[in-house]
Amino acid sequence: MLNNLKYVFKKYNFLLRQLVSRDFKVKYKRSVLGVLWSLLYPVLTMAVMAIVFTNVFKFSTPGVNYLVYLMSGLIIFNYFSEASNLAMSSVVANFSLINKVYMPKYIFPLSKCIFVGINFLLTLIPLYAIILLTGTGLNVYHLLLPYGYLCLFMFTLGFGLILSTVAVFLRDMFYIYGVVLTLWTYMTPIMYDIAIIDHPLLQSLLKCNPLYWFVYFSRRIILYGVVPELNAWIYCMVFGLGFLLLGVLIFKKNQDKFIYYV
Amino acid sequence: MEQNQYMVEVENVSMRFNLGIEKGFSLKQWFVDVGKGKKHEKKEFWALTDLTFKVKKGEVIGFIGSNGAGKSTLLKVVAGVMKPTKGEVKTYGTVCPMIELGAGFDYQLTARENIYLNGAIMGYSKELIDRKFQEIVDFSELQEFLDVPVQNFSSGMIARLAFSVATIVDPEILIVDEILSVGDMAFQAKSENKMLSMIGGGTTVLFVSHSIEQIRKMCDKVVWIEHGHVQRIGGKEICDEYIEFMNGKQG
Repeated sequence: MLNNLKYVFKKYNFLLRQLVSRDFKVKYKRSVLGVLWSLLYPVLTMAVMAIVFTNVFKFSTPGVNYLVYLMSGLIIFNYFSEASNLAMSSVVANFSLINKVYMPKYIFPLSKCIFVGINFLLTLIPLYAIILLTGTGLNVYHLLLPYGYLCLFMFTLGFGLILSTVAVFLRDMFYIYGVVLTLWTYMTPIMYDIAIIDHPLLQSLLKCNPLYWFVYFSRRIILYGVVPELNAWIYCMVFGLGFLLLGVLIFKKNQDKFIYYV
Repeated sequence: MEQNQYMVEVENVSMRFNLGIEKGFSLKQWFVDVGKGKKHEKKEFWALTDLTFKVKKGEVIGFIGSNGAGKSTLLKVVAGVMKPTKGEVKTYGTVCPMIELGAGFDYQLTARENIYLNGAIMGYSKELIDRKFQEIVDFSELQEFLDVPVQNFSSGMIARLAFSVATIVDPEILIVDEILSVGDMAFQAKSENKMLSMIGGGTTVLFVSHSIEQIRKMCDKVVWIEHGHVQRIGGKEICDEYIEFMNGKQG
């Protein structure tokens, strides 16, 4: 079993690399600014949001810098929305290949989550630039951040596997998920603090959102310079590992049927 | 290795398709169907029923039969693209399907990048492609266009590149759905020769063709499939029976 897994991993590792590097080449080939866009894009989005929410809606986060607050949440949500979206369409988009040559089908959602993941790592550069420029400063607990990001990756991959399975059987999913994502943006405390919601039921409802915990985990470290509470550690892992297992299970159970829907 | 070792074993393989499946099912379609009171009936279709045969190492086995007899489905099952509804397929060794040319290309990438991408899709290792890179380029005769995006290629150039990548390995089991010959006249001759030499080169080959002449020339063993059943298995004499059968159908 383990040997078999090792063999499959070794055999398809090269394909995985090729798929990821293909996405990179295609994405940056034609744009003059190239990779710089990956750095610039979240900064510009952040700037727009900051202007709208501080001036129009008068949002504020007492005690911490609002720009860092925004940015730390934004990069997490952006990762999730882009990776899950690409993962969803990845299987359908590669039907012509699946129909002709055998390869493990999970490789398509996985390669998308990795590709966006590398982009995510690039967006850490503007995040840290803003952390330093705003005087928020660094602390030793930043070393704990990879835990939260790893859980985010697992959650996104699991979710992407589920989405890509559903999308094979139900093409409406592409439209439905677009709406869901819009709703999800507002349900995740990216631009506001969850404390401003004074309805206790609604507040606990918002905490059922897995993304809340990944955002919360990283903000405790970046903004407040403390070790996240134990429940944050647990929720991150439960959502991350739980969705990954669920996604793998659902995908595995259905993948042999994909071919009939080509 | 033993001489009489089996490379492919197909045992009681049946393949069922559900024709009721709506490809690209959408909610709109569902509402329309419900509104009209149309029920999704299950229309089943057995593309293959109870197929059994074995292929020995080094054997070239040809499949004949009318259109829609199930030949291509069978090859897909052997290649592992589809799982049989019933029965079992065992393959011993690397299986290389000659896929439709260029299916794995990304048209925004250059020829060089596509050689690696398409190679990876076919299951080759990086070392293998590195080693064979020059050979691929030489065969395709596209040396000067290596760093040009494939979208700027003519269809003939794309076919030449795809053919060169696809035929570079010496797989243990080769699956061929129609002999490919692509490009201009000169390249067509070259590519057909390459295919023939691959088939004749001691590998185990599963070969589908509508050209009875090619089957007769190449194959040691012939399987005649009709309506998903094995009609006859045997030597080249099957070809004559098949031709007679087809003539009978016409007359």
